[in-house]
Amino acid sequence: MKIIQLKSLLLVLFICTFSCKQETKTTKEIKEKGVALNLKHAKGFAVKTFKNYKVLEIFSPWPNADQSYTYALVDRTKLEDITLNSDEFDAVIPIPIQRIVVTSTTHLPGLELLEEDQKLVGFPGTQYVSSENIRTRIDNNEVRELGKNEGVNTEVVLELRPDVVIAFGIDGNNSTMETIKNANIPVIYNGDWVEDSPLAKAEWIKFFGVLFNKETQAETVYNSIETEYLKAKTLAEQVEEKPSVFSGAMYKDVWYMPNGTSSEAQLLKDANANYLWKNTKGAGSLALNFETVFNTAKAAKIWINPSIYRSYKELESANAHYTKFDAFKHKNIYSMSNTKGATGGVLYYELGQARPDLVLKDLIKICHPELLQDYDLFFFKKLN
Amino acid sequence: MTNQYTYKTAFILLFIVLLCCFIINISLGSVSIPLEGVFNSFFGTSTNESWRYIIQNYRLPKAITAVLVGSGLGVSGLLMQTLFRNPLAGPFVLGISSGASLGVALVILGSGLFGGAFAVLLTSKWSVVIAASLGSFLVLLSVLIVSSRVRDTMAILIIGLMFASITGAIVGVLSYFSSAAQLQRYVFWGFGSLGNLSWQEILVFSGIYTLGLILSIASVKALNTLLLGDNYAKSLGLNLKRSRLFIIVATSLLAGTITAFAGPIAFIGLAIPHLTRLVFNTSNHKILLPAVILFGSVIMLICDTIAQIPNSDYTLPINAITSLVGAPIVIWLLVRKRNLMF
Repeated sequence: MKIIQLKSLLLVLFICTFSCKQETKTTKEIKEKGVALNLKHAKGFAVKTFKNYKVLEIFSPWPNADQSYTYALVDRTKLEDITLNSDEFDAVIPIPIQRIVVTSTTHLPGLELLEEDQKLVGFPGTQYVSSENIRTRIDNNEVRELGKNEGVNTEVVLELRPDVVIAFGIDGNNSTMETIKNANIPVIYNGDWVEDSPLAKAEWIKFFGVLFNKETQAETVYNSIETEYLKAKTLAEQVEEKPSVFSGAMYKDVWYMPNGTSSEAQLLKDANANYLWKNTKGAGSLALNFETVFNTAKAAKIWINPSIYRSYKELESANAHYTKFDAFKHKNIYSMSNTKGATGGVLYYELGQARPDLVLKDLIKICHPELLQDYDLFFFKKLN
Repeated sequence: MTNQYTYKTAFILLFIVLLCCFIINISLGSVSIPLEGVFNSFFGTSTNESWRYIIQNYRLPKAITAVLVGSGLGVSGLLMQTLFRNPLAGPFVLGISSGASLGVALVILGSGLFGGAFAVLLTSKWSVVIAASLGSFLVLLSVLIVSSRVRDTMAILIIGLMFASITGAIVGVLSYFSSAAQLQRYVFWGFGSLGNLSWQEILVFSGIYTLGLILSIASVKALNTLLLGDNYAKSLGLNLKRSRLFIIVATSLLAGTITAFAGPIAFIGLAIPHLTRLVFNTSNHKILLPAVILFGSVIMLICDTIAQIPNSDYTLPINAITSLVGAPIVIWLLVRKRNLMF
């Protein structure tokens, strides 16, 4: 009796092992045969195209993510003919996307540059949208308001029934998105902001390209942005003198300064500027105190992006300490807070990530005014 | 400690400690300045312009703010504990900090709900100060109006708590409709901050503070009488209603202005009076009041020195330090003494 039991147990184990192996083998085979999308800088996602469908993988939906997401993107016309093992994928999404909800203004340029902005059906916090085309659609009630901030109004999303919701998360805990997922509306976490270089962030336009079956157009758009960026960088490298630059402003006692590994620092480096905190490392911003900043940056030539302040007067009334910096005395402070859309959304927060070439040219123009004579500042303006 | 001489010695000692703490506080910070440089900067003879500015316009105002905040909160905590005869009472039991929070929330978070008109207010320093003062004043006024109709001092305590709940709920709604940046500003205000007050602000601050302190000193006799209980105090000829009003106004001036300028600083107001009672072993307010002023200043200066993390670029929120440093000290003292001097 015992022997029979043992045998059957072994048989079960053998079958299990064999079937598991079989399954991983088929998955492996599928993964190996696909054609990978060409990505030069972005590390947070990958796309493989197979005969009848594509597989989109998101590796880093948020910083230090320990899970990745895999989506099957299936051509609408072939949906009927294909059987996929849905357990292998977080969602099966019909493409090209007809109705999309995005949740961050940084996602909007991806739609607009691919001429797909008319597919946007909902957005949380529409007052922050600067894009004229999308603003027109909002005014015509073609884009629904989904509430404020991260508190996306679940009911409205369920009513809209978009093909996909593009979300962003600071971690994996987003109950709203879980509810939307449970209602069979696919949610993709966009991790563009986790990338560590301006060009890598911009390359996420290819992610939208895949969703709309516009890989070629996305490639073209990205290549032209990259070419412009590198051209500007080469131009800036020719200048000998590197002006000293610092950034940010204080929240109460804490001065937030981009760390030396951030995109902001990378852009300043590429603009051939001497960013005074270029040798710092870490995630997020540096939280410094006034003494440190004053001691290091008092004599700095240029001050970039002093938080929310839009004029010298505002800076002065917020804190008299600001007036003691040379950059303040010589009126050499530049901010992107003054470049706004029709309803007050700061343009830089919408388009800055998608167009690093324009940000870099702005910084070069600020740091080396003798270069780029015919170029007008796009995001940054001198403080009023 | 029983006789006059021992008290005198204790006060002199405390005062010397306060002076030392003040000098140490000014000497230490993120930027490492040698002691000689500190003194030269202090008297304006230093050749290093950055150092001179840091000492004269950043560290010195910060140290003065620490003294005002520590002593003011200590005094208002003492007044409230005596008035309500409750060892758990602090300067904020009357809803002063929640009122201030509401005012500040309306300014910082209001733009999320009321549109861009509020955004203009955001960038001015005074707007937050005025909003906090108005908020705490209005909540306190409501508490006073309601409490004028009740006889029982304990009822005032509960009314204060109820007002705190109401304002908390409104702040919650405002927070819900705010952007991340606005929330960050509001949260940072809640951490408290001693730095970044200009001389002009310190002047206004110390003016109101002095007024509150004079009222407190004027209430010493009433406070001592109140310790005996409301009925007994009445039989001794104390005008209970007037004394209560004086004490509440003094507290609101002190705690309200401190919250307006430095944010809702936690713990100090509750702990300092206990510490002082334990050390001085008396409940006589003639001794307690000046002792609380000295103790509060010393503790706040020490907390600020720690919060600055000398020689590092970083700084910690003062509220975290006040509780982290203060709570263990009080626990240790209570365990040693085995009973609460109250």
